[in-house]
Amino acid sequence: MEEKIEQLKQEAANAVKQAVASIGDLNDIRVKYLGKKGELTTILRGLGQLSKEDRPRIGQIVNEARQQLEQLIAEKNEELRSAELQKRLGSEKIDVTLAGRRPARGHLHPLTLTLMEIKDIFMRMGFSVEEGPEIEKDYYNFEALNLPKDHPARDMQDSFYITEDILMRSQTSPVQARTMENHEPNSPIRMIAPGRVYRRDDYDATHSPMFTQIEGMVIDKGISLADLKGTLETFLKQIFGEKVKVRLRPSFFPFTEPSAEVDISCVMCKGAGCRVCKGTGWLEILGAGMIHPNVLRMSGYDPEKVSGFAFGMGVERITMLRYGIDDLRLFYDNDLRFLKQF
Amino acid sequence: MQVSIKWLHDYIDFSETAEELADKLTMAGIPVENVIRADEGLDKVVTGKIEKITVHPDSDHMVITSINVGQGENIQIVTGAPNVKEGQIVPVAMVGASLPNGQKISKSKLRGVASNGMLCSADELKLDTTNLPEEQLVGIYILPEDTKLGVNIADVLGLSDDAVLEFELTANRGDCFSVFGLVREVAILTGNQPKWPEIAVKEDDAAKAADMVKIGIEAHELCSRFSARVVKNVKIGPSPAWMQQRLEGAGIRAINNVVDVTNFVMVELGQPMHAYDYDQITGHSLTARKAQPQENLHTLDDSERLAKGGELVIADSEKPAGLAGIMGGLESEVTENTTTVVFEAACFNGPSIRRTSRSVGLHSEASGRFERGTDITGTIRALDRAAQLLQDMGACTVAQGIVDVYPEQKETVHVDFTMEQINTRLGTELPAEKIIDILEKLYFKISDLGNGSYRAEVPSWRNDVTFMEDLSEEIARIYGYDNIASTTPRGNIMQGVQSDVQSFVDRLKLALSYMGMCEELSFSFTSESMFDKMDLPADSPLRKAIPILNPLTDEAPLVRTSLIASILENTMRNLSRKNEDIKIFDVAPVFYPKALPLTELPREVLKVAGLMMGRRNDVNWSTDNAVIDFYDAKGMVEELLDILRIGRYQVEAGEYTAMHPGKTALFKKGKEVIAAVGELHPKVAENLGITKKAYIFEMDVLTLMKYTANKTSYTALPKYPAISRDLAMLVDATVNAAEIERVIAQNGGQYFKGVTLFDIYTGKQIAEGKKSMAFTMQFQSNEKTLTDAEADEAFQRILSAVQQEFQAELRA
Repeated sequence: MEEKIEQLKQEAANAVKQAVASIGDLNDIRVKYLGKKGELTTILRGLGQLSKEDRPRIGQIVNEARQQLEQLIAEKNEELRSAELQKRLGSEKIDVTLAGRRPARGHLHPLTLTLMEIKDIFMRMGFSVEEGPEIEKDYYNFEALNLPKDHPARDMQDSFYITEDILMRSQTSPVQARTMENHEPNSPIRMIAPGRVYRRDDYDATHSPMFTQIEGMVIDKGISLADLKGTLETFLKQIFGEKVKVRLRPSFFPFTEPSAEVDISCVMCKGAGCRVCKGTGWLEILGAGMIHPNVLRMSGYDPEKVSGFAFGMGVERITMLRYGIDDLRLFYDNDLRFLKQF
Repeated sequence: MQVSIKWLHDYIDFSETAEELADKLTMAGIPVENVIRADEGLDKVVTGKIEKITVHPDSDHMVITSINVGQGENIQIVTGAPNVKEGQIVPVAMVGASLPNGQKISKSKLRGVASNGMLCSADELKLDTTNLPEEQLVGIYILPEDTKLGVNIADVLGLSDDAVLEFELTANRGDCFSVFGLVREVAILTGNQPKWPEIAVKEDDAAKAADMVKIGIEAHELCSRFSARVVKNVKIGPSPAWMQQRLEGAGIRAINNVVDVTNFVMVELGQPMHAYDYDQITGHSLTARKAQPQENLHTLDDSERLAKGGELVIADSEKPAGLAGIMGGLESEVTENTTTVVFEAACFNGPSIRRTSRSVGLHSEASGRFERGTDITGTIRALDRAAQLLQDMGACTVAQGIVDVYPEQKETVHVDFTMEQINTRLGTELPAEKIIDILEKLYFKISDLGNGSYRAEVPSWRNDVTFMEDLSEEIARIYGYDNIASTTPRGNIMQGVQSDVQSFVDRLKLALSYMGMCEELSFSFTSESMFDKMDLPADSPLRKAIPILNPLTDEAPLVRTSLIASILENTMRNLSRKNEDIKIFDVAPVFYPKALPLTELPREVLKVAGLMMGRRNDVNWSTDNAVIDFYDAKGMVEELLDILRIGRYQVEAGEYTAMHPGKTALFKKGKEVIAAVGELHPKVAENLGITKKAYIFEMDVLTLMKYTANKTSYTALPKYPAISRDLAMLVDATVNAAEIERVIAQNGGQYFKGVTLFDIYTGKQIAEGKKSMAFTMQFQSNEKTLTDAEADEAFQRILSAVQQEFQAELRA
């Protein structure tokens, strides 16, 4: 009996080891030896016919043989499954270098991207975003900003006129006066005003009859030129990076006193001097100053009680420097090959 | 304004180089735009002696020269200059030189003969050619015989230490349009004392000016002072070289001694002057008055101009003798024959000069100075200076006295201030002594009023200073902006917000860009011809666009009324560049006038418009080349509305600007159109040369915003399964899907949840004029699991309704 069991065990083990080519074959072996009518099962069933003495010993031998065989089959099964998986994986190989099916994506205009970022920086500093009409009264565009008719500084901006008193705004500064008028006199203001402005400039690599400006203004008790410096430095370092150097140069605008042109160290050559900064190492980036007392007064604010600063900058210029764009016309030509780069 | 370093040096010493001085001035608010070195481009130009001239074997106008440049071996240069002779000393541009006229010198061969440099003309070196003999004007510049060899030409000609500063002065600093003004700035910046010239004149002629000429002012508001001097026995001739050089440095051409003197004084003192030929002044009287309309003005440039009326002129007893402050008259011009001269120095109203100068298109050194404002107290000094200079040349005698009409004395301006005011404005803590020191060095007279108050007497030439704030700028610019420590504003905490409209626009732009659309930005201008191309009817309100008085070009003389126009223009530009797969949008205002011409500001209406054409998908190995059709554009609008949380609208066929009347959908809330989408009208497409089908949409941003839901609420998930039933049927091809869906919904009963059209088919097996449509309908209850019977009952009800309504035939 023992011999028979041993023989069956060997036979089954050999069958598992050698003959098996698929999980199906392995199953046949299992049925043959371990199934309901399998040979080892049959012996197990026939234990009852054995003598009392033989029964436990033979039973243990059969069970051991059965366990060993089951383990062998399980191992083989694992081996076969793994091989089959390998085979399948091999046969399922695809060309992963083919382009993926991308969802259609569009693009925001680079000026919009810059504008969104600038708005974000200033909103975090507590500035609100104001707007005003693009077709504007001469009063708000010039007179309320201390630029009476015939003021020589009007030459600085040749404007598109609609009538004698209405024009396409040449700057976003009129929003200053409008914002002050909408506030309780002498109440504090922190605002920026982005928008389209219009000047009678020929369309070339650095000029455009329409462009985008951002105006900014802070009014409160005791606002100083030092505050203006600090605010602009904070903004410029956020937009151009911590390492950028900021320089204020005295200048003249009719609506500010003192006035300043603000330069940053050239972002192309880091101040060494290159074609973009014309060898000076500096780039003119915005105009600013302490709000002229006449401007405050005209909009109902009292320069004896509050003071403020204002600044204005071109979004095109900042965008050109950020992306290294060398021709302003690209913004308004809207060539898709350009737009899709942003 | 430009001036040579040499001229500045006449009145002040400084050791700074031109560049260093330019930098100091710029950082103090006197911006120097350019430093033009006199020796610019001359660094490789040396003196050389022509040792030998030989004939060129292959040219009859060129010769071969052997030049000694003091380097041992002579160099060979081929030249075509007609005036070269052996023994001459000439400027030699060596190989590697880059001349002032831009020419670069390299080794070359001229007709086969090697040439290692170039002999230069005065013109090539940008030298002063005023006193050059004729043959040197066309030929080589010849240096004196005793000139050393191999020396830099700039050193030989004394150009090394000179430069011209080109200023880009700000409009407020009229006083710096003079050498005196600039010297005052140089003085405070360098700490050196100016050496002002003594201005004194000997009235050595017995004649009295007041007896000879009558001066008058009629237009008091335009002329506040008119002063004149008379000089006799004038000998017209060239002015001395030193004066010519200084004028040249200032960019002014020398003419003759009298005119040069007036220009010199103008640049030196900032007071424009004019010289009249006394004998050509009818009635020997000069009056500042307004021109009559149509009055004839014959100006120095020999052009006849007709006055509009109201311009300030200086007239003799008969006619205008010049446009005041802008240009003199031709008749009274100083000529070779002039023997008696009237010098004029006056103070004219800046805005009036500016207006006239712009309207006649004449800008002069004088008008620029008057526009910015001159020092009214300076007329007498200028007249004295001019007479003195001409007298020193021995070119005149000076009549007794000055004729001065100065009706209203200008009062001295005082500005009261405290140190605290200045320091608060600047954010500094400067001591009083420092502030007083700066102001005094700028010629302000400071008095202490006690109690911390001070009074500054403003110098007569500083018309720009009237407030404490102006004084604070003087302190800041001299103390140095760089020296002011940065702070951030204290005070109230403010909330940084943008308006709802701005946030909505940002959301709209992001949504469209995520869905594959590219944002463009376009100019706000348009034209009649664009309206024609868009086939707008003659009475279309869109044609009522605001005209610009002074447009840049005739192509864009109007302010736009349609954003679609802008989108179409950009599409054409892209198509011309072979960008044929286009999905673009623009968010911008259009402008509707209430009346024309404008009496009040127009309505600015924010629109969003888009255009889609070309391939639906990017070229890819796995996608087809399907092109965008109407339903892509409509889907874009539907999805956008969904993102913006706008629902419950109706969609109808309709008509819209530039859209195909049979392929236009209007999205409506009641009667209000909230969006329009359609195929570009074939006629418009043809007018624009767009040969492929394009689809456009337009929406009004504020209308969209009005209907956007502020919040959405959640709907509970169904507890019981849904049952679906499909309905395929044949209907007339003209029936709209929306109508069928409406009937289905109306007859769906209480368990009806929704209907989706999932197939539409015409063609084989379908009769002409019919189409097959297949819908799938959902039924569901919130209380129980529906039975098939309940679903079938609803289905039957729907079926009989569509059969009745549309004569639909059920398809198997």
